[in-house]
Amino acid sequence: MDYLKEFKINLAYHFSEVLEYPFAKPYWIYVSLSHKCTYKCQMCGVVKILKGYELQTKLIKKALNEINSWNWDCVVMFTGGEPFLREDIFELINYSVNRRLKTEVVSNGALINKEMASRIINSGLQNIAISLDGAKESTHDLIRERGSFKKALDAITNLVMTKKRMNTGPQISVWTTIMKENVQELFEIIDLVKELGVECLVYHPVIVAQDDMQKTSPNAPFWISDGYIKILKEQIDKILDYQSKYGLVAFLHNPYLWLKYFESTLTKKDWKCNPFVFLNIGPDGEVRSCGSSFGNIREMSLDDCLVSKEAFNARRTMKLCQKPCLQTCWAHPESNSLLDIANRFIESIKDNKDKTKFLKETIKILEEYENLLISYKDA
Amino acid sequence: MPELKEVIISITNRCNYKCRMCDIPFQKSKELTTSQWQKVIRDAYLIGAETIVFSGGEPLLREDIFELISYVKNNSMNCCLTSNGYLIDEECASRLHNSGIDVVNISIEGPPQIHDYLRGRGTFDKAVFALENLRKYKIESTIATMVSRYNYKYLDYIVELAKEYKATTIKFQPFNRIFLSSNCSEGNFFISKREIKRMKDMTKKVTWLCNNYGITTNPRRYLEMMPLYLSRNHFDSSFICNTLWISCPINSQGEIYPCWVLTQKDKLIGNINQDSFLNIWNSQKHRSVVEKIKKDGCPGCMMSCYDENFGRDGLETRIVTNVKRLQKEGAFEYVRRILKRWGRRFKFYNSYRGSPRQAFNRLRGLFKKKKLHKTEIDKEEIDKALKEIALIKKIFEEEIRCLS
Repeated sequence: MDYLKEFKINLAYHFSEVLEYPFAKPYWIYVSLSHKCTYKCQMCGVVKILKGYELQTKLIKKALNEINSWNWDCVVMFTGGEPFLREDIFELINYSVNRRLKTEVVSNGALINKEMASRIINSGLQNIAISLDGAKESTHDLIRERGSFKKALDAITNLVMTKKRMNTGPQISVWTTIMKENVQELFEIIDLVKELGVECLVYHPVIVAQDDMQKTSPNAPFWISDGYIKILKEQIDKILDYQSKYGLVAFLHNPYLWLKYFESTLTKKDWKCNPFVFLNIGPDGEVRSCGSSFGNIREMSLDDCLVSKEAFNARRTMKLCQKPCLQTCWAHPESNSLLDIANRFIESIKDNKDKTKFLKETIKILEEYENLLISYKDA
Repeated sequence: MPELKEVIISITNRCNYKCRMCDIPFQKSKELTTSQWQKVIRDAYLIGAETIVFSGGEPLLREDIFELISYVKNNSMNCCLTSNGYLIDEECASRLHNSGIDVVNISIEGPPQIHDYLRGRGTFDKAVFALENLRKYKIESTIATMVSRYNYKYLDYIVELAKEYKATTIKFQPFNRIFLSSNCSEGNFFISKREIKRMKDMTKKVTWLCNNYGITTNPRRYLEMMPLYLSRNHFDSSFICNTLWISCPINSQGEIYPCWVLTQKDKLIGNINQDSFLNIWNSQKHRSVVEKIKKDGCPGCMMSCYDENFGRDGLETRIVTNVKRLQKEGAFEYVRRILKRWGRRFKFYNSYRGSPRQAFNRLRGLFKKKKLHKTEIDKEEIDKALKEIALIKKIFEEEIRCLS
């Protein structure tokens, strides 16, 4: 565990947030290849916006080159729409993997037959996530489309069997969206995916408007309210109990925050997002974090997008956001307070024999930041 | 900018039927008096409404209904009445004719067995008898149908019936959850996904038949969307409903909400018992409720009274309507009204969007190339950060001293 590297990253995110300047590069970079999809799921707003746009292969490769030049620990996630609808998806995955970038793909599993599964396992991906929204066929099909449950299960089975055969390959995970239609079955999904051989399960609460996160509204059709909140609490108790004994479920924050989210009582004290952690490149080339766009990669480089005036204004607005949305890829709670970062570092090297060396290194890093900031002040 | 066109008055919750798909008769309410409604009608005229619709419950159960219809006509507005037809015998039709009503809307759900199953035994014959009486007294009749799993297969029967009794319009309305209170089973009214194709064929047939027979019906897009809506599938409602501007519902207790669907407490605009309709319509509360709905967006609904949102009539229909209006009012009045409408629009845009010069500048700004501004860091924040770094450095140096 490279404590020094973690210290540097935490420091970077902290100063980025406090000084509103990107000292840190984003960790999660979602690339929306296009908004075409095989399904028209009820809760997905993505298929309805920016329908005609598609990112050109050349442009994506240029962006990946830039991300590579940052030399920053980040994850590139190919999403959309349905990524496997693109013919050049494997070319792009190859390009990204060859530059030693951690790459992941999220898919609905409609196109993953045995041949596609073997290509995925051999592609060098870090993680492949399949979306599954119910433990029963009727629930999942009601939310998505008729026949989609069977296709998703087939996809998972194909991937697991191929991975066993090859003895290597990406982590196979399942993503579930929490909404009113499937809140009774959240715990049952664990049994189902455990049997299939899935390695990780992540729950996401539903968002109402993907292109304007501030529009979370309790009147939306899939929102969990009143009686269903009790059901959700029981499900969380069961899931937490299972996870403490057997693992499998990945929580990126305290799961009881979901209850607050659906009751609209979530505040910044419970959960605060860091505008520098996440970046989304839309199919029209617009670069955004949450809210308005920083710039367009068709006209400028990714670096320029990160330091533009629009980026500055957009991040300011995010700082003032009163409606946290629990999209976990957008937070970095470890870097909220400098004192915490320092104390945690001291705690982590407690039993290390080179303590003095580490501490001297950290002081050097801090002095570097001091010099950098003084130079900005005088400029 | 509200430009009121019609006011839909639910004049009573009482009804002589207990239809399977409606729970209005079970909602007891204190009704308003005749003079209160007359004041509302007068205010509606002053605001500029063109049509008053009496609905409910069963409006003919009110003893003063004919007086109110006459009052509407005396205020030079169109008047429309919805009814189940039970009370429209010859005498009633004659009274309706004398009061000057323009249109009477009769609800028909399908062939006799289906209609009787949904509404009550013997109701189909009563409804048809009402249509006959209305035709006898040359009152324009229209038909309203609530489409659900029970009758979607027989919609063409209703078109044939309309042709036979010379009804001018058929309005289809898919079942909506707001018709029933929450403890009634609504599942029977929706269709399954397997039935979507069959219903789509039926709606196509209905559109074709109506075109051939010259019967007006809902816009084509509205009918096309009905099967998806009734199968509880999510439907694409990417329009902005303009009902907030043109149609105002008032329920039997005198409450005014933006529309029949948005009836949450925070959407209440006003109550006739407390203030006049004119004041409520021009109030700040009205403006703020409408603004909030515009800001939050409305997911849309398929209430047939708002089906204009689904597509305007074809050019032909619009020309015919305008020619009829010209014939009725005369050229002077017709032109004056158009000028008034455009004058209001221009004033609105001027005040809201700024003068034409400002609009031109904005347009020019769109074409200017965007300059790239690099961000600058706040000097105060840098000082704060430097102080924090100094503090942390001290902590680490202290730690090193402790170790050695």
